[in-house]
Amino acid sequence: MLMFSFTSLAAVSMALAGSVPGPRLLAALLWVILFFAATVGMDRIFLDEAAAGTLETLRLYAPATAVLLGKLAGAFLTLVVLSALLVPLFLVFIGGSVGAPFLFLSVLLLGVLGIAAAGTLTAALSAWAEVRAGLFAILTFPVILPVFLPAVAVTAELFAGETVNLHYLVAMGLYDLLLGVGASVLFDYVWGG
Amino acid sequence: MTTGRVTLRCAGLRKRFGRQELFGGLSFEGHGGEILAITGANGSGKSTLLKLAARLLIPDDGTVALCINDVPVAPEAYRSHFAMTAPEMNLYERLTAGENLRFFPSSRGLTLTDSEAKRLLDRVGLPAEAAGQPVGQFSTGMKQRLKLAIMMAAAAEVWLLDEPGANLDEAGRRMICREVQGAAREGRLVLWATNDSTEEGIADAVIRMGRGESRFPQGTDQRASL
Repeated sequence: MLMFSFTSLAAVSMALAGSVPGPRLLAALLWVILFFAATVGMDRIFLDEAAAGTLETLRLYAPATAVLLGKLAGAFLTLVVLSALLVPLFLVFIGGSVGAPFLFLSVLLLGVLGIAAAGTLTAALSAWAEVRAGLFAILTFPVILPVFLPAVAVTAELFAGETVNLHYLVAMGLYDLLLGVGASVLFDYVWGG
Repeated sequence: MTTGRVTLRCAGLRKRFGRQELFGGLSFEGHGGEILAITGANGSGKSTLLKLAARLLIPDDGTVALCINDVPVAPEAYRSHFAMTAPEMNLYERLTAGENLRFFPSSRGLTLTDSEAKRLLDRVGLPAEAAGQPVGQFSTGMKQRLKLAIMMAAAAEVWLLDEPGANLDEAGRRMICREVQGAAREGRLVLWATNDSTEEGIADAVIRMGRGESRFPQGTDQRASL
């Protein structure tokens, strides 16, 4: 996950050759790298357990809610650490400055929370699928769009130094909440077999 | 463990894998305090029946219900009444035996003290030092013993054993017989997939699996029907 994001960052940085893209493109690049870095690692949340043979043990002994929250917390913390390492490097190598760091931090946290919630649920769904190749990214992309697009919009406004439309942040927060509740309901069904 | 009379009811169970039908409508009941042996050739559906009982698999047809004092257990709490050892149910190899032993029961809200953990390890024939060793360094037999310890620690009303003696020495198999009989005396229901005649001998009833048929051939129990 980390290597993917750093490699992508280096590739984008070299391709731009020192030129600074516009705020919208800059924001889109940041979130595309974050999203695809997440898909590289998050599809293995349950597959690693299945491969190790611990998934069935966990299914028998652990309640669905505990597993979902544990996996979601793990994914969220991983993405927070990834963002903490990636974003400063992105700002240095690609360019861009943020005038409102608190808002920038808020949109980052809400964005990665949405990616973590959607990713955990779709990782669970794809773990039991017979044909898994590419399934995780295909399933996750439409689910994550309502977080991804506002995240790009707010980040672009922050890079441009414009006033941020706070409705986007509220919408992201509400969608994250909806994802959490939806994931809980669906996960009960998936975990139940 | 919840006090109360536990009853497992399987009615009209059908399960297919591709074209192979394992059960053609299996029905049986098991009560707390009983040991039910499930025997049959490889591929006859012994392990599948145990997974259906724990609702780790869904039957193509039929029902599986667990009742405590004749009150059906709610679906969300169903699995918390089961503990199981099976060859494909592995433990976390990077964690120590002690950590595994605490982790799985703790996911059900049960806390194990150091002395309880040592006592459990002793019961299954593992030395106390094993508690601090990563499970990845264990032999197959030691892992099997640890799975049994975790099953005991889970304080479940129903034990599901899928050929637990397969990787154990003679002393290990005797330990399992002792523990299973002790569990039945404490009021637990034990479903025991085995092809060992000694293990089958201590069962109260036998379900024989094979060629789509399942029955109690010994005439000791009429609760199973095709």
